[in-house]
Amino acid sequence: MSDDLPPKILPEDEDEALAAELALGLIDEDEAPHIAARLTADQDFARRVAAWQERFAGLADELVPVMPPARARQRIREELGHASAPLTHPIDSRIRWWQRPFALIGAAVAVVALAAVLMMPAVRDSQKAAPVYQAQLASDDAAMQVAARLDGRNIEVMLQSGTVPDGRDWEIWWIKPDGSAPVSLGLVARQGAMRLTLPEGLEVVDGIRIALSDEPVGGSPTGQATGPILAIAPLTPS
Amino acid sequence: MSDARRIALEELIARVALGDRAAFDALYDLTSAKLYAVCLSLLQDRPEAEDTLQEVYVSVWRSASRYLVNGLSPMTWLITIARNRAIDRLRARGTRQGTTPADEVAAIASTEPSPESAAIRAQERVMLAGCLEQLDPTQAEAVRAVYLEGLTYADLAAREGVAINTLRSWLRRGLLRLKDCVSR
Repeated sequence: MSDDLPPKILPEDEDEALAAELALGLIDEDEAPHIAARLTADQDFARRVAAWQERFAGLADELVPVMPPARARQRIREELGHASAPLTHPIDSRIRWWQRPFALIGAAVAVVALAAVLMMPAVRDSQKAAPVYQAQLASDDAAMQVAARLDGRNIEVMLQSGTVPDGRDWEIWWIKPDGSAPVSLGLVARQGAMRLTLPEGLEVVDGIRIALSDEPVGGSPTGQATGPILAIAPLTPS
Repeated sequence: MSDARRIALEELIARVALGDRAAFDALYDLTSAKLYAVCLSLLQDRPEAEDTLQEVYVSVWRSASRYLVNGLSPMTWLITIARNRAIDRLRARGTRQGTTPADEVAAIASTEPSPESAAIRAQERVMLAGCLEQLDPTQAEAVRAVYLEGLTYADLAAREGVAINTLRSWLRRGLLRLKDCVSR
């Protein structure tokens, strides 16, 4: 921890440093009420804080976007009372063409959802008939072998050889061919198989690949693969 | 962020402020993956990040009308709300002590920047990464860890094995250097 500047901060720099600390959330609880009061009373100080917020937000560009689970949006809609089909009217004549269909799509989704509930046994039957896909993942030296199998929307990932090291987890990623950020499917089970239903928004199309990355226990803390990619393989019809 | 994207987001937020649910859906589509990544980075826990994301968008729906007066670019406003909510939750775990998230800052910093100052800010934002590289690497890493992982002065002091006051002076000097660099 070396620094060649003098240890004291000049008084005129005090506000600047304080503004940065406030933007970072580094202000002590004791100081907080006093500083919050300054924000409303002191436009110059408020401007400094906003400028720091703007600068620091650039750091979030380093984070790879992670698609939240579909249920997150549903929960937000429920909390806001938007759970039923949107009822908004066009606010003015300048409303964009692509904003209009939302109400219709919402209604259509509700109808489809109802139909899906009513026709559940039929859906199950059709899933049985759905094609089965698989991906065979292996490390370069073939010491690790993992098989992924997709039947309808049910995925099973099985560790066939190799051992997940203590203190690490192997995370499973779904990679779309469109170059969007990989979506995590979960972690390789240390014993037995990892099973899940394919999350909404993920569809089987040509060119899907499955990858494994080495991650801290519990999976990538950032939602993107942080560790080395151990293996990657295409998902192909079996 | 391109001007076209910024303007599109500003228009969506303005419509959300008027209660336009379709605009809210569109805003969610465009921004939720980035905000979820911010929550995950700070909380390192998926269920908590998901709960936080919910709080963030509920807050966006309710406070969109205040957006236009806070002078932040739309992505900064959204990222700041997400980060502050996540830090709220992080501090509430009780494993980190002492500091308050600047949760109300996004709403309170009610300044109306002139167009040129918005442009200057956008430029400074781009320059930040380059300027961080000119800091002592430990200092740059500390700034990143505070912003993206929610570390406190106490966490950093423990990591570096120094007193909190020493750490604070050191980081503040780094922040001032950063300001000098981006303002150049």
